[in-house]
Amino acid sequence: MEQQPKKHACSGLVEGDSGVWQEFLQQIIPQLYGMFLKSWPNPSLAEELVQKTVFDAVRGRTTFDPEKGTFEEWIFGIARNNIRLEIRKRAARPTVDGDISAYLDVMDTEPLPDELLENKETADIVRMALGQLDEKEQMTLRAMYIEGLSAREIAGRMELTEKAVHSILYRARNSLRAKLKQLSAIPRDGETST
Amino acid sequence: MKPENNNLENNISRLVKLAGDSNQPPKAFTDSLINKAIDELSQPDTTRERKSKIMTTKKTLKIFAYAALILLVCGVLILVMVPPLSKTKYARITAKLADEKQNILLKDLESKQQPTSAPTTQEQRYAYNEKMVAGALDKAEKLYMPADRVTVKDSFEAPALVKQAHSLSCIVPPPPPCKQSTPPMAHGGSKPPNGEDVDAMFFKNYGVNPFIDTEDDHLSTFAMDVDTASYTLARGYLHDGHIPPNDAVRVEEFVNYFKYNYPAPKKDDFAVYSEASPWQFGTGRQNSYLLRLGLKARQISEENRKPAILTFVIDVSGSMAREDRLGLVKKSLRLLIDNLKPEDKIGIAVYETRGRKVMDYKGLVEKDDILATIDSLSTGGSTYAEEGIRIGYEMAEKAFKQGYINRVILCTDGVANEGQTSSADILKVIKEKADKGITLSAIGFGMGNYNDVLLEQLGDKGNGHYAYVDTIAEAKRIFEENLTGTLQLIAKDAKIQVDFNPDVVRSYRLIGYENRDVPDERFRDDKYDGGEVGAGHSVTALYELKLWPEKKGKIATTYVRYKNAETGSVTEFKSEFNTSQLNRGFDDSSKQFRLAATVAEFAEILRSSYWAKGATLEPVLQQAQTLAGEFKGDADVIKLVDLVSKARQLMLKSPAKPVEDSQSE
Repeated sequence: MEQQPKKHACSGLVEGDSGVWQEFLQQIIPQLYGMFLKSWPNPSLAEELVQKTVFDAVRGRTTFDPEKGTFEEWIFGIARNNIRLEIRKRAARPTVDGDISAYLDVMDTEPLPDELLENKETADIVRMALGQLDEKEQMTLRAMYIEGLSAREIAGRMELTEKAVHSILYRARNSLRAKLKQLSAIPRDGETST
Repeated sequence: MKPENNNLENNISRLVKLAGDSNQPPKAFTDSLINKAIDELSQPDTTRERKSKIMTTKKTLKIFAYAALILLVCGVLILVMVPPLSKTKYARITAKLADEKQNILLKDLESKQQPTSAPTTQEQRYAYNEKMVAGALDKAEKLYMPADRVTVKDSFEAPALVKQAHSLSCIVPPPPPCKQSTPPMAHGGSKPPNGEDVDAMFFKNYGVNPFIDTEDDHLSTFAMDVDTASYTLARGYLHDGHIPPNDAVRVEEFVNYFKYNYPAPKKDDFAVYSEASPWQFGTGRQNSYLLRLGLKARQISEENRKPAILTFVIDVSGSMAREDRLGLVKKSLRLLIDNLKPEDKIGIAVYETRGRKVMDYKGLVEKDDILATIDSLSTGGSTYAEEGIRIGYEMAEKAFKQGYINRVILCTDGVANEGQTSSADILKVIKEKADKGITLSAIGFGMGNYNDVLLEQLGDKGNGHYAYVDTIAEAKRIFEENLTGTLQLIAKDAKIQVDFNPDVVRSYRLIGYENRDVPDERFRDDKYDGGEVGAGHSVTALYELKLWPEKKGKIATTYVRYKNAETGSVTEFKSEFNTSQLNRGFDDSSKQFRLAATVAEFAEILRSSYWAKGATLEPVLQQAQTLAGEFKGDADVIKLVDLVSKARQLMLKSPAKPVEDSQSE
């Protein structure tokens, strides 16, 4: 039986009570994250939007009107608004064709478009490429970027110096890029192979 | 150290996240976001306060403007409606009143409009001032920093120009927030010798070689350089806890400091060793390769070295009065004497306020006399380098013997403040003597008011070489381990020309050798000054290449042209390098290759080269550590690890040096 979400003291939130906010955010962040991830299967974008929504709410807390609904409803309203903004932003951008290899060529100099990251194929290629790295590199990349650990925490976990973690990361990034290029160059199903 | 705006890292981070299979945000993300949000809660709501303040001001302004407008309209109406009364006293008074009111109102309006209009004019003034000052600084910078080589005279004049630039910046108040322009050649310094305003380290900015499209120019020509002073100099800086100035770092001298164990040729004067591998350095470049050209000169055994007549010209001026200067010179000389052969002879001249001969030529039989003379040297006075060098050359000319090595060895901190303090005349004399067979080695000692530019040019023009001695270990390297190579030349005016194949190579950049550039068409001009290479010396040149994808064939042909140091006859030979010889990966390359790459990366980062953008010392340190393991017992490589780690700490502490942004691909 799922626990009923706890009603938060609206007054504590509006007044900026840090204890109340901490508890509220603990509960709301995963929900927001899930909501954004459903819209676009792109974890980094989801993180970005969660962050934006939380800050919008923190900064605008005094404009919350309890007569119009609960604080939760209000923050989901902000989140929906951010989704709308994102959709509008995307409409202005050129469309992205599915070919990842062309984008990988410029990934040193330009941010990859979100649309590309949301391709199922991209995620597949990344998983494959990661799987082909040596274990240390894989572990470090996952710990750093998926779990969001710091180099120091990774060093502690892997019993290495922080310096060593940095250089593994450096190498891992390069080998991942090389692997990605290699894999994305392989013709996809339906295309003729030589 | 996290490089700013690192797109690669960002992209990798975003890509790797795709591989996570949880629908939950990472715990670290949630925790950090909660912390940031709570921090934000405790911030005073400055934005809102500011906003409301702005709103109130805007409202007040609006009200004032409306009031002023209404009054103005009233005034005009009164004037228009009551013209018949204008001639009466009452009318005049009314008109005057209205007029005054109008003036007041206009003033009022003006003052109300101030907040909106003022920033524009202010900004324009700033922009104008900034332009003026930037122009003035630019001019001053160009004056003492021409694109090509400047003479030492110029570098001596630099402080004056800096003053000029500063005074220019003072004419246009208020000082705008313009980009800071630091004098590129004068750094550091402790106490000026004799109170003169030349106390500074003199380095010259030769720029950084750009990438060149083979379509535009497929030939790359430069003079060989076996100097190593820049590395020892930088080492001195790092030991003292400073990052060396960008201009003190010459990549080729860093690279050439290390031993790469190229096998020496048996018959020929030179052997060429080429190797290339994929190379990832800096951000924003893909498909980069590093090409290493290694040249090794014929070795001459100690017994077969020609006898030498060595004339020491020692700077004993006040500025040398320190243990790391004259003290080190004396120790170095003792080392040298222990390694001389019975036929060798030594003479000594010194200079301070005046130059003088202190010891006529003596051989090893009179070793005690030589040592006593060396020990008796003491410092004092100003620095009349010109006279010292002249007397040294006079001695050398008298003692000149065919079939001997005739070498003047100048030991100084390089600052001249008496007589001809600029180098143009000294250099001319030295060049003439070098053509007659008396060569010159410039050995630098001491930090603080050290003239790198002068010494490098003396060594270059004197057909000898230039080294910097910071420790007794370095003195050993030059006067003991490498003495034969230091003294006996194999090749003179040696030049290298690399002809890249445009079908395979898209673009190239020569790493270092910026001040050794030779125009392509002068490669076969044997009067054109090249570099001198001593016995057993090796020269390493590195190119970063971008290859056309999938192209196979010849990458480059290397031409080497030099004069035999004995006979003066000119030899030219070539060596080819093909795509089939490329290593598959960087890690597949030889340890010597990786050492050269690591050292070059170190130097490029230290000199804030444009091409080192985004590169950090972390991977360099890691590579150096790995290499120290592979080069078991090579003290130079062990020392390198230490230096890179020192530099890394210093760079972490101090904000990053500005990157030379003037280059473009």
